Amino acid sequence: MSNRTSVGGWLVGKTKTVRKGGVTPASAHNTRSNTPQVQSTSTTVFGGGVKDASGRTTEFFSMDDQCPVCRSDRYLNPKLRLLVSSCYHKMCESCIDRLFTLGPAPCPICQKVLRKLAFTPQTFEDLTVEKEVAVRRRIAKEFNKRREDFPDLRSYNDYLEEVEDITFNLINEVNIPETEARIEAYRRENAALIELNVRRDEQYSQELKQQEEQERLEREQRAQEARRLEELEREEKEKGRREIIDRLETSTKDAAEIIAKSRAEATKRAASRAAATTTFKSSAQLLRSRAAQSTTIPDVPHVPLQDDWYAYGDMYARLDHYDDMYSEAVRQDQEGIMKAGGYKVEEAWERALRSAVTALFLPPLSDPENSLTSATFLQPKNDVVPT
Amino acid sequence: MDAVERANAEKQKRWVKDQKVGEGTYAVVYRGREAATGRRVAIKKIKIGQFKDGLDMSAIREVKYLRELHHQNVIGLLDVFSSKTNLNLVLEFLDSDLEMIIKDRSLVFLPADIKSWMAMTIRGLEFCHRNFILHRDLKPNNLLVASDGQLKIADFGLARDFADPGYKMTSQVITRWYRPPELLFGCRYYSSAVDIWSVGCIFAELMLRTPYLPGETDMDQLRTIFRALGTPTEEEWPGYTKLPDYIPVGQFPKTPLRDLFTAASGDALNLLSRCLIYEPRRRITAIEALHHPYFTGLPYPTHPSKLPRPASRASRPLEEVDGNVDMVDSGPGVKAVASNRLKRKLSSPMDGVRPLARRLDFTQHKGS
Repeated sequence: MSNRTSVGGWLVGKTKTVRKGGVTPASAHNTRSNTPQVQSTSTTVFGGGVKDASGRTTEFFSMDDQCPVCRSDRYLNPKLRLLVSSCYHKMCESCIDRLFTLGPAPCPICQKVLRKLAFTPQTFEDLTVEKEVAVRRRIAKEFNKRREDFPDLRSYNDYLEEVEDITFNLINEVNIPETEARIEAYRRENAALIELNVRRDEQYSQELKQQEEQERLEREQRAQEARRLEELEREEKEKGRREIIDRLETSTKDAAEIIAKSRAEATKRAASRAAATTTFKSSAQLLRSRAAQSTTIPDVPHVPLQDDWYAYGDMYARLDHYDDMYSEAVRQDQEGIMKAGGYKVEEAWERALRSAVTALFLPPLSDPENSLTSATFLQPKNDVVPT
Repeated sequence: MDAVERANAEKQKRWVKDQKVGEGTYAVVYRGREAATGRRVAIKKIKIGQFKDGLDMSAIREVKYLRELHHQNVIGLLDVFSSKTNLNLVLEFLDSDLEMIIKDRSLVFLPADIKSWMAMTIRGLEFCHRNFILHRDLKPNNLLVASDGQLKIADFGLARDFADPGYKMTSQVITRWYRPPELLFGCRYYSSAVDIWSVGCIFAELMLRTPYLPGETDMDQLRTIFRALGTPTEEEWPGYTKLPDYIPVGQFPKTPLRDLFTAASGDALNLLSRCLIYEPRRRITAIEALHHPYFTGLPYPTHPSKLPRPASRASRPLEEVDGNVDMVDSGPGVKAVASNRLKRKLSSPMDGVRPLARRLDFTQHKGS
């Protein structure tokens, strides 16, 4: 079993990797022996191993591992970690370090020129599966047309067949240059559509995430509500019990009668509570009913100000400074206490000025009956606002 | 009977009291109607007798400011008259408030609904500010909703006009969860920015459906704010460490709003962040907020008549009377407990969950 807890500094990246079958000593006591453990972080340039739903890569790992280059095996080196090259040959980390640190070098098995960063963790026991997954993933990135991008089913099927053809060629290394050319041609022809579909996919996955989050919140809320109700009920019961005891203590009436009366009251309370708590509909349902609500009254755009109050604005100009004995206090505010609190002496000046000009053009009060509403001198009347 | 008394008697005849719908510490609210037209109104009877020093301050403020403010998004004061030893305010009848709507889990909010409520709130507030009046107690509970969906700012019991230079104002205003940091630091000179902070908190609450900054005490409120928005630096808010009640409450890192408000649009978050800027002078003003792209962008704000409304029940307490101001001049202790009990009786059943919420904590700062 491996004790590996971290990988050497050269393979650093943000992909979390899980090694199958590995057990770290720290968690050995509470996990089954073959539970995958987070072992290390590693970067992936090509293909990048296969991620599971949580975005982690599960790394394949076996007791019979042996490095085909240096022949060291897990028995000799329990920390042995085999990585896969872009030509799908395995070798151990120390061999990779030894062979490729000084720059690109040929693969010791097939002589293809490799780089150090192009090694990826192994996910599947069978390397052909590993390769197929990587190829299909690469293809799917660009061959992402959908059924609705085709006029008829026939052309869609033809397209799918072509994709399958290309994939097969790449996996089995048949006609590589010609296949690559086909991919290139496709890419050039469909650049815009590819981009569009990529964005569509992103949007879809985001929506999915949002919906999941929404549902989770809803569930939480419902659970919380249920807990609250339960608590309330318990409290109510406790209160009722105490009440009965109190009454039995102080009253001179028959005990049975008092208990019966209290019971009746308690059931009444419970019933009213049940009536008060509205039955919970799922929010999706409610949203739908909201949407179905009559659209006869249209929503109107927001209008920042709905009156011409600020039409008075041009009747005066506030200066930056006034020789005002009252605002002396503000000027002497060395500590900045007034400033820190948000006090603005300008507002006081503004107010004094505005009071001086407001209602200059209103007619004098004429209706003594209406004395209350006539106090609305602060309100500009539309018909007398200066123009 | 002199002329004044005669006029008062006439006014009194105009309005008919029906049943009692709620009771606060300084007022009782009745459902009523206009005798001639049958129009529904709320009549708030202020008990004068209770107070040794005359009329309660908040009643005076309420009458003083509501008499002057007439706007679609501010509650309308229709009439004032006296009966025996009481003062009666005749107010528009509004059957629900935003808190009720937020708490009603059977309602679903669309982004356009939130936009509509915010636009109405800020429009009402802008009207107050342009008339140089600070509301100083904005919270969902004080934003009432009329039967046609129009939102109206109510409860002017803590309102006052902008101070002249050199005049101190009290920092003990605004319900704690909606109180801006400068007031928590005991600032005595402040401006309309305090209301904007409350608006920001309400905006966040509409999106989250739960209070955004629910502090348990005044100290905890500061910690809650800093934990949510990061501890301000001297650069972000020059001079705040010099404020009278400044206490360091610890360093908290900034977290992007996006982490909490996952579904909000970029414009919405921009507006929210500008309402919750630490430095009051840089905080967005009401009129700037009305011109913010959040409101002009799509979707259009929902037409008020289509906004979600709680299922109608037989009688609704007028939350406006919750009397959260009543402890200003009554001693701590017994009185406070009594009013708390009243409050619970008054408000929606959910209130029991957060008993600390709706009270201003005046005991904390007794010494300052």
